[in-house]
Amino acid sequence: MANIQDKSESEWVRVLSEDGWTFIVPRKVAVASGTLKNTLSTGFAEAEAATCHVPHRGAIVEKVMEYLSYKTLYESAGPKEDIPEFSERIQPELALELLMAADYLET
Amino acid sequence: MALRKPKTKIKPPRKHGTDQSMQDTWAALALAIQEIHNHNTSKLSFEENFRYAYNLVLHKHGEMLYKGVRDLIAKNLDRLAKEQIIPAFPSGAEGDPTLRSQQGERLLKSFRRVWDDHIDSMSKLRDLLKYMDRSYTPHAQVPQIWDAGLDLFIQHILGPTIAEPLIATILAQIRIERDGYTINRSAVKSCVEVLLLLDHPSIYKKKLEPAVLHESTSFYREEGQKLLETCDAPEFLRRVSSRLESEESRCAHYLTPMTHPQLRAILEDNLITPNLGTVLDMPNSGLEAMIDGEKYDQIATLYKLYSMVPLGLPIIRKGLKTSVERRGKEVNEVNQDEDADEGEEGPAKPKGKEKALAQANAALKWVQDVLNLKDKFDRVQKQSFKDEISVQTALNEAFESFINRNPKAPEFISLFVDEHLKKGLKGKTEDEVDVVLDKTITVFRFITEKDVFERYYKTHLAKRLLNGRSVSDDAERGMLAKLKLECGYQFTQKLEGMFNDMRVSADITASYRKHIDDLVDVDRPIELSVTVMTSTFWPMTHSGSSCIMPIRMTQACQVFERYYLSKHSGRRLTWQPALGNADVKVAFKARTHELNVSTFALVILLLFEDVEDGERLSYNEIKDAVQIPDPELQRNLQSLACAKFKILKKHPPSRDVSTTDAFTFNNDFTANLQRIKIGLVASKTETTEERQDTRNKIDEERRHQTEACIVRIMKDRKTMAHNELINEVTRQLATRFQPNPIDIKKRIESLIEREYLERREDRKSYNYLA
Repeated sequence: MANIQDKSESEWVRVLSEDGWTFIVPRKVAVASGTLKNTLSTGFAEAEAATCHVPHRGAIVEKVMEYLSYKTLYESAGPKEDIPEFSERIQPELALELLMAADYLET
Repeated sequence: MALRKPKTKIKPPRKHGTDQSMQDTWAALALAIQEIHNHNTSKLSFEENFRYAYNLVLHKHGEMLYKGVRDLIAKNLDRLAKEQIIPAFPSGAEGDPTLRSQQGERLLKSFRRVWDDHIDSMSKLRDLLKYMDRSYTPHAQVPQIWDAGLDLFIQHILGPTIAEPLIATILAQIRIERDGYTINRSAVKSCVEVLLLLDHPSIYKKKLEPAVLHESTSFYREEGQKLLETCDAPEFLRRVSSRLESEESRCAHYLTPMTHPQLRAILEDNLITPNLGTVLDMPNSGLEAMIDGEKYDQIATLYKLYSMVPLGLPIIRKGLKTSVERRGKEVNEVNQDEDADEGEEGPAKPKGKEKALAQANAALKWVQDVLNLKDKFDRVQKQSFKDEISVQTALNEAFESFINRNPKAPEFISLFVDEHLKKGLKGKTEDEVDVVLDKTITVFRFITEKDVFERYYKTHLAKRLLNGRSVSDDAERGMLAKLKLECGYQFTQKLEGMFNDMRVSADITASYRKHIDDLVDVDRPIELSVTVMTSTFWPMTHSGSSCIMPIRMTQACQVFERYYLSKHSGRRLTWQPALGNADVKVAFKARTHELNVSTFALVILLLFEDVEDGERLSYNEIKDAVQIPDPELQRNLQSLACAKFKILKKHPPSRDVSTTDAFTFNNDFTANLQRIKIGLVASKTETTEERQDTRNKIDEERRHQTEACIVRIMKDRKTMAHNELINEVTRQLATRFQPNPIDIKKRIESLIEREYLERREDRKSYNYLA
């Protein structure tokens, strides 16, 4: 989309959790989420500020960002490469909230 | 994400935004959507509104959301229509096309603007309502919001109030452009794009295309009439092809290539197909005029246009055929006229020789004319028709038909070849001759009566060979090779036999000379050079004209005969003095000249050796002494007494020899040259009787060939139906001549009489009797 290209120079974007945590992640990682991608690309206020809110706890957002990084890293991995299982890194107590976040963020 | 350890304690998930009532949420979202429609997107938080929509869907208010959004979109579209499109409607005033085009352009542009606007906000809404599209719409079985947006656009913008003026405007733009004015193509294109995009099948297909096609049909129907009335053929073709091009570019640039085939069909049906014949036959500018003026590119355009429609090529072919046949007929008539003139003036003309020459010239002219015509159409075919095969076939048929309409064609062609293979050709190199002969072969190909040609060619070849007038052996053999290529081995077998005889004869003569030299006998016979001709190969009749030769000549003949028969026993030699010639030294009063005369002339001259100077010999005395048949004798006497060199004096002197004349030896003869060739009065093209004679011979030959062919076929098949047999015979004989079914039937009957065949019981087929 045109907007991505316009903003491609700002390689980093902010992701804010509802309890005030700020995550600075590469744009590439953030747009791996459909929702974040739309947030950052259509001409809304977030796109201007390169900042998006995620209505979840910091711990959840952190895990989501971790997953998005994991996803961008291995997305283009060759078939022979060894891909570690992500589900091992999910603490059970986070699982349900994470599921909600995943649904919201289209990951 | 899969859960691995379900045993651990799970916190109940917290729900977002439950604190707000759903009505409030919707109100906020609706406001935001209106802001989007007002192009204030950048002031809105995506996340916030996304969350509103998310929550609404999550709390089962999807339907309310969906309907609400739809209503908002519809309202916005109605607003846009009212504000932007309706005011841009053209005033409908008839006027300057440029003005009208500009008005139309305004409507088209505003339409496109509204579309772009709609699409822009729809793409934002789609992003915002993504969660709804994901969770609610599939479940509720309603179209996704994007598609709903397109539907709404169709309903609210492309309703009749706007669609009709819009389509009318596009048609008007096309019309304006067809009338030769410039329009803003990209404006039209941008609208057409939208129409192509919407709905299945697209609005374009449903509404615009039929309208365009309808409009085009009526436009081009009129145009066809107009062009036909105002233009000549080349102009018509030029206009039509430019119309074709412009329609093609129209489709490529701002309609769609899908429409092109239909549009083209309209052009073909209205401009080309109805006018095929009319344009082709336009006086002074149609096909004939183009051929006359060698306007190859015009013909090429004609061909290009005509070959688009199924009826076109046949009409062109017909036109070409008529043209060729008309021209061919002219060629035939011109030359026949000359022939006829010859006939009338014949008696007035001094000598048959000139008449014959003129006739030969007519033959040459005819062939040359045919070749020119062929050249002309070959050029047309090559440059304008890209060597289209069906056109070639049509041309060939036409040539065949008019060439064969001239009954003398085979004779003329043979004469033409004869003329080019004769020695002492003026101003042509061998290569040029070869080219001419190659062309002649192409004409020869058209002749159906190839056997007639063969007969004439044989005669002409024999004359060339015997008189040593052939330009070169190579040239002759080259021509033979060409004929062989055309008609096969059989055709040239005898001709090649003649060549062979010439070669063998040269050897025999040489060895005979040697044999004579070796003879110790003092009394050597006169020098003799002999051509032994195999009687079946050569066209001369066996009996031929004979004469009583003086004793010395007879002796020489006998010596040779003895020598020849000693080498080849069991053969019979028949002397053909009519074909020979002789060198003889004659002592006149002034000086001695060496004369080259025909053998008959020599025999006549030798008669005068024994008579007193000035003593007359009457025609009948000469005839009694030499026994030469009348026509030959007259011809020889004429060439001795009435031609340029008067070796004999005729009493009374006149041009022609009659049986009452008398002759004396012209002792006072003088000439500048030491060696004189006394040519025989030529008889080149045949007289009517001779032609009749040739005709009869050919007919007889054909009868034999037909019978042979029937027998060959029947021997192979044993039993055959009548029609089948006729067809087969016709097919097999076609390389030589075109047999007449009635003749074939006669031959079959004759074969039945002679018990080669029998009729079967069914009366329709025959059995072969071994």
